[in-house]
Amino acid sequence: MMLAVVRSSTLIGVDGFPVQVEVHVGNGLPTFSIVGLPDASCRESRDRVRAAIATSGFKWPDTRITVNLAPTHLRKSGSALDLAIAVGILAASNQLAMGALDGLAFIGELGLDGSLRPVVGALPLVHAMGHLRPVVPPGNLTEARLVRSDALIAGSLVDLVESLEGRSQWVTPHDPDPSPPGLGEEPDLCEVQGQPVAKRALEVAAAGGHHVLMTGPPGAGKTMLAERLSSLLPDLDDELAFDVSRIHSAAGHFHDRDLIRRPPFRAPHHSASLVALLGGGSATLRPGEVSLASGGVLFLDELGEFPAGHLDALRQPLESGQIHIARASNAAVMPARFLLVAATNPCPCGLGRWGECRCSTAALARYGRRLSGPLLDRFDVRLAVERPEAMSVLKGRGEGPDSLSVRVRVAAAREVAATRGVRCNRELRGKEIDKFAPLSPKARDYLRGRLATGVLTMRGAQRIRVMALTIKDLDGADGPIDDVDLYEAILLRGDESTIGVAS
Amino acid sequence: MSSDNIETDSIPHEAYLAAIASLEHVGPATFRWLLSHGSPSRVWQRLTSGRLTTGPGARITSAQIDRWAAQAASVNPAKIWARCVELGIGVVSIGSAGYPESLADDLDPPVVLFQRGDPNRVAKYKVAIVGTRRATGYGREVAHDLAKDLTAAGITIVSGLALGIDGACHAGAVNAIEEAGRTGGSARGPLAVVGANLESPCPQANRHLASKVAELGIVYSEVPPGTPSAPWRYPVRNRILAALCDVLVVVESDADGGSMHTVREALDRDRTVMAVPGPITGRYSRGTNQLLRDGAAPCLGADDVLMELGLTGKEGVTYEQLSTADSVDKSSGSSSVKGSGGGENKPNAYVPNEAEARLLEHLDWRPTTVEKLGASSGLTPRELATAAMTLESAGLIRRTGSWIERRV
Repeated sequence: MMLAVVRSSTLIGVDGFPVQVEVHVGNGLPTFSIVGLPDASCRESRDRVRAAIATSGFKWPDTRITVNLAPTHLRKSGSALDLAIAVGILAASNQLAMGALDGLAFIGELGLDGSLRPVVGALPLVHAMGHLRPVVPPGNLTEARLVRSDALIAGSLVDLVESLEGRSQWVTPHDPDPSPPGLGEEPDLCEVQGQPVAKRALEVAAAGGHHVLMTGPPGAGKTMLAERLSSLLPDLDDELAFDVSRIHSAAGHFHDRDLIRRPPFRAPHHSASLVALLGGGSATLRPGEVSLASGGVLFLDELGEFPAGHLDALRQPLESGQIHIARASNAAVMPARFLLVAATNPCPCGLGRWGECRCSTAALARYGRRLSGPLLDRFDVRLAVERPEAMSVLKGRGEGPDSLSVRVRVAAAREVAATRGVRCNRELRGKEIDKFAPLSPKARDYLRGRLATGVLTMRGAQRIRVMALTIKDLDGADGPIDDVDLYEAILLRGDESTIGVAS
Repeated sequence: MSSDNIETDSIPHEAYLAAIASLEHVGPATFRWLLSHGSPSRVWQRLTSGRLTTGPGARITSAQIDRWAAQAASVNPAKIWARCVELGIGVVSIGSAGYPESLADDLDPPVVLFQRGDPNRVAKYKVAIVGTRRATGYGREVAHDLAKDLTAAGITIVSGLALGIDGACHAGAVNAIEEAGRTGGSARGPLAVVGANLESPCPQANRHLASKVAELGIVYSEVPPGTPSAPWRYPVRNRILAALCDVLVVVESDADGGSMHTVREALDRDRTVMAVPGPITGRYSRGTNQLLRDGAAPCLGADDVLMELGLTGKEGVTYEQLSTADSVDKSSGSSSVKGSGGGENKPNAYVPNEAEARLLEHLDWRPTTVEKLGASSGLTPRELATAAMTLESAGLIRRTGSWIERRV
């Protein structure tokens, strides 16, 4: 046998793509080359494979070895193809029966001693294999089993060949270690002191998928509130859970036994690079924070400190729920459907409260300009938070609703929204708003009055209607939108131009 | 020299005054010293050639004269004049027709004034309203409504078109004139004195307001078009504000704010100074409260100012248009700067219900966030929203984003 074909897969962005590893062992001077668009990290395989085959007690064929990774137009990177290449060489040099490879696909990184090590992105990689039965390193078993419950494992190259040739049983995995305790615990809304309006705002934001901007001095509890927003979101459904798990697997963050069911919470620091935020990077196009927050909450603290270009780059994912990463050699589309929560100080000195702020008018204007109008426009909920009174902090905890009871209401509201054909009310547009959010006569008059006096723009009025609809859904009420619903929506939305200090 | 002579024939002497005014460090006193050397065209020639004499200990150094000569070499009076004509900017110099009367016999009269607008639209009686740029909602509202009521009563409002109080009072004046245009009232045009040149007269934010004031009244500046403004020009223009007005009203000012400088200029010129009281704990009421303690007349509304002018009930003052002192903002004609949602406010007619009363109870004179009100009043967000919107419509509170404050 001179030619062997082994199935495997490679990762681009958060998607796996099937790869056929063709190994030819032919006459000629002893060389070992890999063709088919491997990048530098993938070409390193040569040295690992050669050492692993030698130390595992197999014979390294001292002839001309050519490995082709098909399809050749896909860029391959990383170490996940190590195992497939090694198995191919063994088969092509007649040290392994070709027939034993039928119906199987291999991923895994090789150690120099022939051991199999886990790879990043096992979930999408296994998913890309289709009907083939995956053989993976023990460290990737939990991920692989989420897609294929019959996934096989092998601890080393020797074990693998023994099992493939039927000389020994496949290793039966013992039950994976139980998840470390305590990690599943989310912060709870009832731990927040006071802040009744902010709590209500978070509830509305969670139910309608409305992005939130919080303005307030340091210590006002902006971060604390934001961290609790993801705990108000309902569990992810199967499709979304798989999507989210796939992203986290591709980023190498996935260690659970089950799909990720709780919405993720991501809080990148404002020094994060554009690539870290959006995804990309030279070799693999790794998912960025916007994708890792998909299905959950992306929290940008100190929004004004983020470079303006980074913030404007968020507008595409905010609009489409996807991020398109394109590089000269490569391109990927990754999901990025997140709930954006941003926090900012009201002004450079941070005090903000009227009469205490020491900033000059010019400094305030400069600070306000950092956030572009189109970005501010994306925030439906705009909230000024203040430091709670010292007395209320000492009053003790446990007031207000807890996350679980809010989550139940939010889930119910989202179900109502689903009957309108959208995931959440924020996605309602133009005609749909007129159709699903009719106004009572009183509410219509009120909105008309505000539009006439110019305190409200047409766009602002539409957003307020959508928020009022969410509020109605939360309260489980039917019928047209009332003026009281509008009042609450207006209170939560604030006005058109509102970051900064009052007066 | 021959080319200079040709220009001398073709352009008026105001062009040379404008050219001199465009030089650095030419304030009013220096300007008068320069003009003591002869006619404007002659002074200009001597400036360009550096042939001005200055003795030892004189206020102008020879180094300064050299710098002027260097700077003047690149300035062409004919060009400045052409620019004024092109932009429709009028130039009046002291002694010429159209020069404001009240400035002619001033302690420190400007030699040349650039103007945009029509001096005939300005009323005989002028009230200057000044205050801090960092005004509170209270201050802006008082300035706006005071200016509006005074304008409706046929008084010209004088101010500096800066941010804060200045902008609010001119906005009030403009609103009053537009309203009078609809109802046929006798409002008169506002007057502004700006520290920058008339091409870009003020902060960008007040650009539209400035052109409105120029359209309805008149805007003055000491700075020729094309000359960049300098910080020293702002306090210097305060004296023109003080000289032009009959009464100066300070709405809000810190104890050492620029408005206090205007007050000193006004007192030097025997103008009446009035102050609007504010909370004694407020930073931007320190100056005004101090003025009141020092004996300035308190201004609680437009008729206090009219009384001070000796105008009450006569000279075409439509007295019923003026609000009573204790409800400046609730008079039927005057809505807030931003306009309130509901519209028809009747003075003291609105009786708050229980939730609204509770909200008002927890609202002191400072702006407060919705968040804090929710926590202190114990109202649910829904009750709070309903109460807040109703009170806003009734004109009892003002809401800016998530901030709520009492209206006066």
